[in-house]
Amino acid sequence: MLTVGALTRKEVGARLGGAGLFLRTGPFVSCIRSNSAVVADGLMQMYSAYPVDDTGYADFHLHLRQSTGWRRWFRPQVHFYHDGEAPFEPMPASHGFAMLEWMLNWCVSGSAHAYLIVHAAVVEKNGHALMLPAPPGSGKSTLCAALVSRGWRLLSDELALVGLDDQLVRPLARPVSLKNASISVMKAYAPDAQFTRAAMDTTKGTVAHMKVPDASVARAAEPARLAWVVFPRYQAGAALSLTPIPQARAFMRVAENAFNYSLTGARGFQALGKMMDGGASFDFTYSALDEAIALFDGMSEDRP
Amino acid sequence: MKPSLLLGALRDPGSVRGLGLVQWDLLLRQADRAKLTACLACLFDDAGVSSALPAPVDARLEWARVAMRRHTDAVHFEVKRIQAALAGLGVPVILLKGAAYCAAGLAPARGRLFSDIDIMVPKDRLPDAESALLVHGWVGSAQDEYDERYYRQWMHEIPPMQHMRRQSVIDVHHAILPETARVRPDPARLRAAAVALPGLPGVQTLAPADMVLHSAVHLFYDGEFDNGLRDLFDLHRLLGQFGALPGFWDHLPVRAVEMELARPLLYALRYSARLFGTPVPETTVAALGSAAPNRVLMALMDALLLRGLQPAHASCNDSRSTIARTMLYIRGNWLRMPPVLLARHLFHKAFITKNTSKA
Amino acid sequence: MSRVWCIAPGQQLAMWGWDDEFVLYNDLSGDTHLLSGDSHAILTRLQQAPATLAGLVAAFSGGVDPDDAAELPDTITALLLNLQNLFLVDSRTAGLAEPC
Repeated sequence: MLTVGALTRKEVGARLGGAGLFLRTGPFVSCIRSNSAVVADGLMQMYSAYPVDDTGYADFHLHLRQSTGWRRWFRPQVHFYHDGEAPFEPMPASHGFAMLEWMLNWCVSGSAHAYLIVHAAVVEKNGHALMLPAPPGSGKSTLCAALVSRGWRLLSDELALVGLDDQLVRPLARPVSLKNASISVMKAYAPDAQFTRAAMDTTKGTVAHMKVPDASVARAAEPARLAWVVFPRYQAGAALSLTPIPQARAFMRVAENAFNYSLTGARGFQALGKMMDGGASFDFTYSALDEAIALFDGMSEDRP
Repeated sequence: MKPSLLLGALRDPGSVRGLGLVQWDLLLRQADRAKLTACLACLFDDAGVSSALPAPVDARLEWARVAMRRHTDAVHFEVKRIQAALAGLGVPVILLKGAAYCAAGLAPARGRLFSDIDIMVPKDRLPDAESALLVHGWVGSAQDEYDERYYRQWMHEIPPMQHMRRQSVIDVHHAILPETARVRPDPARLRAAAVALPGLPGVQTLAPADMVLHSAVHLFYDGEFDNGLRDLFDLHRLLGQFGALPGFWDHLPVRAVEMELARPLLYALRYSARLFGTPVPETTVAALGSAAPNRVLMALMDALLLRGLQPAHASCNDSRSTIARTMLYIRGNWLRMPPVLLARHLFHKAFITKNTSKA
Repeated sequence: MSRVWCIAPGQQLAMWGWDDEFVLYNDLSGDTHLLSGDSHAILTRLQQAPATLAGLVAAFSGGVDPDDAAELPDTITALLLNLQNLFLVDSRTAGLAEPC
């Protein structure tokens, strides 16, 4: 199986500049074309373990075009095209890799309706999946990155894909996005992990991505069954607290956090119901990552 | 112009059996751009081909099928709410386009997703209709004062209304072409021929011939051809379904002439036959003979429309396609609005109301 | 004349329940509702058979404190009207055919 890591930087550049780099992430293949060095470097660094697909078929077609000509020298930008259409404003060229990640999320969340897509992180240990839905700013990404750096398998940091027929969560296993303060927190917490260079002044502040351990990428075809839904909230100095939530209310909160819940209609309702029926839900407050991880480690060992 | 993969699949769904993954990649991209993916999924299901598709293709079509299932139910529900809101109007409400196909269970409804519901009421009842909708939770959705004026003053329509809670959009018309257009098909005649919908008292659809004419005029007078192929395919399916009705093909040209819509019908039949092989009887075409444009104009229209009706995807473009599409855009708006108003409208749309989306 | 209440035609009443709280999928509107135990009880009862207000009051009066019994008809009426607004239940005047 060919991976990005088996290609030279020149070969990656050639594919990106030609017919495209066909990258497999979980259930999807994305054809990526770009003339941007930032995008190429980011792919080489973050996606070395991911398979390159050679069938010529892709689910998504992304083109990230960096300004050429005189614009190269004066605040160059990168433009995103989804199969020829430009749905978004261009961004500074230095944000190219962050843009690729956001656009991959946009593609999936906008169309892959064979899954109930929840805005949540999902990690797994001992066969039990932990879902962390949360609006931005709740510390979900930091917690997710920390768990992944301490032995939990990453399924996703942003988009939880729940199969409508089997309620299993399917991995995407793409790089973990971190913002602002959490970048330095994670660099200290996981000094051996690899990070992209930070992109400053994006619409979400400063953004960087953390590379996913190879072990998670290797298991990207392996779904997991949900054991817990935890709504995290980071609060400086707070004592650790895990409070059970009545399951019907948790159901509604997860549905509110799903991009396509209404669109999936009765099937989405049943899939979510079955998924929740097999697990337990909690509100969670924490201030120390080690404490949080110890708690979840304990839960994953206690559960049969 | 060589026919696209998409066109081949629409004409003959069974023909996709031999396609390789590279071709499927292109076909699905064309379909996505033409908003015909859900429709293709239905055609493949009906042709019994779905089980023979490569796994990633089948998985991708499932995305479209999921979106489709809830859509039909949502339209039925919305139509009932509109019926309830306008029950006190005292005149029947006529459903148009997608909502009509869906409510009447017509062939073009299969796999067709749309976001607005279009209805028609008599012009003198527009204010009452608007009030009734406001009372039942719809609000006006004009983007700015300019849009508001465009609709009310120039087009003599009310801006689309959006339901506060459900977010569904309703477009209330009093005619099938704006008053500023050069041709004015008489709404009273359309209403006189309208057909009741079983189970929905007070709600009607246009008669079959009128539904075809509306589809033709919508396609060939509108400036925007992004949905051109899809709308022409709707028309092809309507003709297929109604063609079986006794006397339909004789009545259609007569009605077109009566409604001053012979030219758009001529184009509609011509291009539906050319692209989809619709079996249009010679006698019907002959009955429209006097409405045909001169040979030069017809050749130009052929060149413009055959390009304009291809999926708006790079793989289907040749060098003249962008120009063809632009000319069609200007042409469409010109037919709907007098030139002076047109210039102001285009200028405003291009430079002032450019939409930006954020992730 | 008596009013008969029933489940609105087209409603499958797909539900999930945990600890006397329920979520329900509304087949007509596509909405999902969080239901109290009371609403759930009424829907379940009507799912078995259409009923009049008097019938519902009789069915539930056994589980209610004597102090609350006097308010039961009003409470149930309010619940029914709410459910009707949500297109979950419907009513007809006894003796007529539609919709129950």
